[in-house]
Amino acid sequence: MDSSVHLDNVVMEFGDFTAIQKTDLKIESGEFFSFLGPSGCGKTTILNMISGFLDPTQGDVKIGGQSMHGVPANKRPTSMIFQNLALFPLMTVAENIEFGLEVRGVSKGERKKASDRLLELVALEGSAAKKVTELSGGQRQRIAIARALAVEPQVLLLDEPLSALDLKLRQHMRTELKEIQRKTGITFIYITHDQGEALTMSDRVGVMSAGRLQQVADPITLYRDPQTSFVASFVGENNSIVGKVLSINNGIAEMDCGPLGHLCGRVQGAVKIGDQATVFIRPEHLRLSAEENMLTIPSVIEEVNFEGSYLTLNANTQAGSNLAIQLESRQYSENLMKGANVSLSYNVEDAIILGESAHV
Amino acid sequence: MFNQLKARFGSGLAVGVIGMIAIWIIGMVVLPQLLMVDYSFRPNLLPVDIGGPKDIYTLANYNTLFTNEIHLKIFFKTIWSSVLVTSITLLVSYPIAFYLAKVATPQKAALCLVLLIIPFWINEILRTFSWYIILAYKGPLNALLLSLGFIQRPIRFLSGDGGVLIGMVYAYILFMIFPIYNAIESLDSNQVKAARSLGAGWIRTHWRVVIPHAKPGIATGCIMTFMLAAGSYAVPSILGSPGSRWFTQIIYNWFFEGGDWNQGAAYAFLLLIICIGFIALVMRIFKVGLGDIAK
Repeated sequence: MDSSVHLDNVVMEFGDFTAIQKTDLKIESGEFFSFLGPSGCGKTTILNMISGFLDPTQGDVKIGGQSMHGVPANKRPTSMIFQNLALFPLMTVAENIEFGLEVRGVSKGERKKASDRLLELVALEGSAAKKVTELSGGQRQRIAIARALAVEPQVLLLDEPLSALDLKLRQHMRTELKEIQRKTGITFIYITHDQGEALTMSDRVGVMSAGRLQQVADPITLYRDPQTSFVASFVGENNSIVGKVLSINNGIAEMDCGPLGHLCGRVQGAVKIGDQATVFIRPEHLRLSAEENMLTIPSVIEEVNFEGSYLTLNANTQAGSNLAIQLESRQYSENLMKGANVSLSYNVEDAIILGESAHV
Repeated sequence: MFNQLKARFGSGLAVGVIGMIAIWIIGMVVLPQLLMVDYSFRPNLLPVDIGGPKDIYTLANYNTLFTNEIHLKIFFKTIWSSVLVTSITLLVSYPIAFYLAKVATPQKAALCLVLLIIPFWINEILRTFSWYIILAYKGPLNALLLSLGFIQRPIRFLSGDGGVLIGMVYAYILFMIFPIYNAIESLDSNQVKAARSLGAGWIRTHWRVVIPHAKPGIATGCIMTFMLAAGSYAVPSILGSPGSRWFTQIIYNWFFEGGDWNQGAAYAFLLLIICIGFIALVMRIFKVGLGDIAK
């Protein structure tokens, strides 16, 4: 069954405010797709458009190739899991799960079968008669998933459903969600501001900022080859140094970075000689000792933090800017202390250069 | 309570405050009621006979109602009409309350609430009387309907119970809207969205999600409206026709026209007891506890 979701040039305006800039995106059938962005970037608006709670000002949402224009929320082949779960507190667990089937006029016996099967799927057999309020956070979470799956949607929409859980449970639920998605083969559309969630679970991630889709890619590409400076700094940690492009050779640009000298990196997107550009270097790509072919940035250590499996350093460069460095714990030595001079270095391939046009 | 007051203000002031409250409640509320209970069990006598051999406790006053067919009919008609008033008020108020609580923007909701409240600044008698004018045989409503061609000749709105029902629904609508509004406002909007997302149409969303949540508010509104309607005097006496007398009018007549306070008191208590019993029964049927209403 085709359960792809196509945002066909949709625009969403609220009065003068444009919540979603023109967006054209196709989410494949059976894909686990995440919208990642800070709060207020418009990701919930997108979810509301797909679910039918909002109608796009322009464009159309297509599910399985069918236009959803004028189709109300209760007639769409989608089902939504809410941030606060929105379980019905006056109903039992079974009644919650069976609600969608009851609405569709499914017989009592069939409903019971379905809810038993779903309770087994989410590993909560025997909770059918319980009140929703008797369950723990993680259990409620799973009931919400079961309730949404009961109506056999083509597309499951998840609105930051894990944000209310504690860290351990959240990590556990990530694997479980992924597992459920694999078992059911439903298209999952997940929105979150937590990049860890987006990167670990998704087949593809769409990064959003200020109502604009910045980049759509699989997690590894997104992390390695960010196309815009927003993606570069929002997904993972990144150091940025501004400079002017001197030369471009085989996709490697050399930049004049003032007091820091000349720095090189891989060019992403459109950058011309003479442009203002930014070089992005991830903290884990910075080293303390230079190997061959590495570029160096002389700096002074400002702060050293031991974080268990790794070590983070803050260093001031000669330009007065600040760089974050991440090292493995075993690289710790007594010489690493505030005020120590270090020569930070990195591989050219690990640095990314983005031009002005990437600042959207 | 006394100890808290004493700790804060000292015993002198505490005794004073508690004493005044006690005087108020006992002297102004409890004793007059007890006096009425006492009245209701004694015959209506000439002043010379009071305290004499004829002054005995009897159920005769209560029995009067059950021997007077007309009064009994009016009694049940009052209860039934009050149920009708309550139902119509609920039907009118629920959509308004839902709109105010969940659909309208805060500005629109505030405007609507003000528009709802302003008419209630006007005296109840005047408000009711304005309905008398609107509904009159040669009044504006008939004129409007005639000119629009909906009717061929004027309707007598004020004969029968129609006028009373309209007047009462209007008079008590706020008592219904506010409790329901409060109840619905506390409903998480995502619950409505969740029901929609699971495929529920509007009617089922209300039936299974909104109304169960708003039940305590609906119960409070219905009880207030029912009690006010059953005990109303102004509306039936202004908008009522000879055929639509209210039981309160009979009670009034016993007191102030018959001069028989004993009989009037007995009628008043019968109305009170039956109303409370009726409400208790309805609450039981709809599984509403007293605790729900206090929420």
